[in-house]
Amino acid sequence: MTATTSLPEVAPTGGTGPSHPAGTRGNTLLRLRESAADYVFYLPVLVVFVVLFAIPVVQSLYWSFTDFSVRSPEPEYVGFANYGRIFNDSSMMTALWFTLAYTIGTTLIVTVLAIPLAVVLNRRFVGRNLVRSVFFFPAIPSIAVLGLVWGFILSPIGSGVLNTVLDAVGGLGPVPWLSDPQLAQLSVILVGVWSQLGWHAILYLAYLQSIPSDLYEVATIDGASRRQQFFTITLPLLTPAVTVSQLLLLTNGLKVYDLPFTLTGGGPGYATYTMTQSIIQRGIAQAEFGQASALAVVFMLIVGAVVLLQLAVARRLEGRIR
Amino acid sequence: MLHSTSRRATLTAAAFIAAGTLALTGCAAEGGEDGSTTLSFFSWDNEDVMGPVIEAFEAENPDITIEFSNAPPVVEYISTLQTRLLSGTAADVFILAAENKSNVIDGGYALNLDGESFMEPIAEFNQQTYSGADGTYGMSVASWGGGVVVNNDLLAEAGVTEFPSDWDGFLELAGTLSEAGITPYYDNAQEIPMTLNALLGDSFSGDPTIDAQIFEGETTFEEQWTPALETFNELFTEGLVSTDVVGLGGDQIIDEFVNGRVAMIATGPWNVGNIRSSAPDMDFAFMPFPAPDGAGYLPGAASPGYAINSATENVDAATAFLEFLSSPEGVELYNAQSSAITTTSNFDPVLDDSLEAIVPDVRDGNVYLAQIAWPRSQDVLNTEAIARIQEMILGQISPEGVAQAMDAKLAESDG
Repeated sequence: MTATTSLPEVAPTGGTGPSHPAGTRGNTLLRLRESAADYVFYLPVLVVFVVLFAIPVVQSLYWSFTDFSVRSPEPEYVGFANYGRIFNDSSMMTALWFTLAYTIGTTLIVTVLAIPLAVVLNRRFVGRNLVRSVFFFPAIPSIAVLGLVWGFILSPIGSGVLNTVLDAVGGLGPVPWLSDPQLAQLSVILVGVWSQLGWHAILYLAYLQSIPSDLYEVATIDGASRRQQFFTITLPLLTPAVTVSQLLLLTNGLKVYDLPFTLTGGGPGYATYTMTQSIIQRGIAQAEFGQASALAVVFMLIVGAVVLLQLAVARRLEGRIR
Repeated sequence: MLHSTSRRATLTAAAFIAAGTLALTGCAAEGGEDGSTTLSFFSWDNEDVMGPVIEAFEAENPDITIEFSNAPPVVEYISTLQTRLLSGTAADVFILAAENKSNVIDGGYALNLDGESFMEPIAEFNQQTYSGADGTYGMSVASWGGGVVVNNDLLAEAGVTEFPSDWDGFLELAGTLSEAGITPYYDNAQEIPMTLNALLGDSFSGDPTIDAQIFEGETTFEEQWTPALETFNELFTEGLVSTDVVGLGGDQIIDEFVNGRVAMIATGPWNVGNIRSSAPDMDFAFMPFPAPDGAGYLPGAASPGYAINSATENVDAATAFLEFLSSPEGVELYNAQSSAITTTSNFDPVLDDSLEAIVPDVRDGNVYLAQIAWPRSQDVLNTEAIARIQEMILGQISPEGVAQAMDAKLAESDG
């Protein structure tokens, strides 16, 4: 069924009857006024975008070709020298590898766990709101504070919280969570998953609640099991949520800084060193703004490429499901 | 109606903006009409430490008002200072940290303090720390030095009554404690370990220009650092210290110590209060780091120096403030508020008894900290050193490999 509504005719501004040219001019003026009103609403966002994003990006691009630093406040053009130094930095490849591992690891694990968690949190049970709050809690405190707390929990010596529990429960010896390079990487990824899981589960929950219950009722009448309902109704209809969630996980993962910095300091060795740590070190601590800008430009291009790839894959998947 | 409400709202907003602008203009005023001066001061010490010092100065100089601001050390302070210097909004007086002194001095942001009367009581070592090619740019009134903090009760439990003065004796002590079932020693490996800084200082003590020589290409990290790294690494190759130390932060190490789970740790005097409050009954003392040839250098440095902004219009007021800060009264107040080991010739600091064994070396300037002795690329090299030392502790690379990586990083950094 389609509803048709006739729009009220706009009264001509002058004259006695609707003449064609005057009506067209009136409609055009009305459209102009409407679009002007639209632009007024866009303006604050546009100002924020230009001031906080466009101008800094252009400035960074400019500085990346200069020797701008606190020692050299009058920047001089140095060509691609800053870019050349990035690719000669031995720690950068390790940082890039771990940043990608963290991003892919947290994105996959959070997605795989958050959807079933959202389905469970969508059911009715006693204390549901409390459980939802508990899962959402890690998204509230600063991740830097959580990193320090997890440092005590995952302490590699016998008195560490988790090692004490393992010893009490199973008599297991101290596990070197943060002093073994591979375990340290795993620990950072798992704490990253823990801190983001609840937030993304709530995101999926919001999308789940918009799925019409009729679909499940019909499926139940048709004899579909819960598993079949999940894979044929829930999951396909959650695809837009998956796109949004993964976009956020990917961008947050690529930009990660505070968690590895507070939990492991980037170690042992360079095992958990990240790209942003390197940019911040060059730009803030070392005050080599030209060098840091080149690093930021390269990093922005990498993030842009990854995000575009993810969006292309997500759109193709959404298209197939439709 | 709508129009009049909107107009009223616009007028109200305009009035607020005008009032705000006037208020801001008032804030930016340098001095009052009565001839008083407002002197801005930026530090990494907080208001608890600097408040009484500033109050005493203002009482002595009623025409000068100090506008105080602070940021916590080290990275946040340095980044804030550098941003303000570049934008021309830095305070009239600020503290010059060893970590970025070369940026500030070479950038021409601080005044040369040579020949000023307030520099007379400043210790030679502190003056050297904040000197550039043609003068001294920071007035540092204190130094810090780290030590091996010893839980005397745990040493007594293992039958040890005396702390050794040389490296072999230290290894023997660690072995004795280990055999008694006591964890012997932790040093924070998430920074360049204090023990290594002490060993490096000891090996360079005959020649304080070693770091400059490395950076000028006359010698290498490999040549200068390898012996100290090999000595330090004995703690791990002989199984006396757990390699898990690479996963422990400074707070966790203190926590282990105050709970009696480790007999000795390396730390600085800033943790005395923490240890006293967390373990009030503990019998502990700071001891000098043992070196291969006997007790030598301590890890440590001159505290930040007070510097005068080269762009200030209040040079006289800034000079008066530095005069007060280096006076016996100013130094006494600073020592009382911060418990810092002051090094000026005009005042003997009052310090915690536990620091007794390390204070003479600190006041004599027998302290060394690699990361601030480097003339450039400090942060990049510091990160490289920490990462490679951790890899050495885990047995992934040799001491020589650590030093070679440092040489490679310096070459990379210099482009």
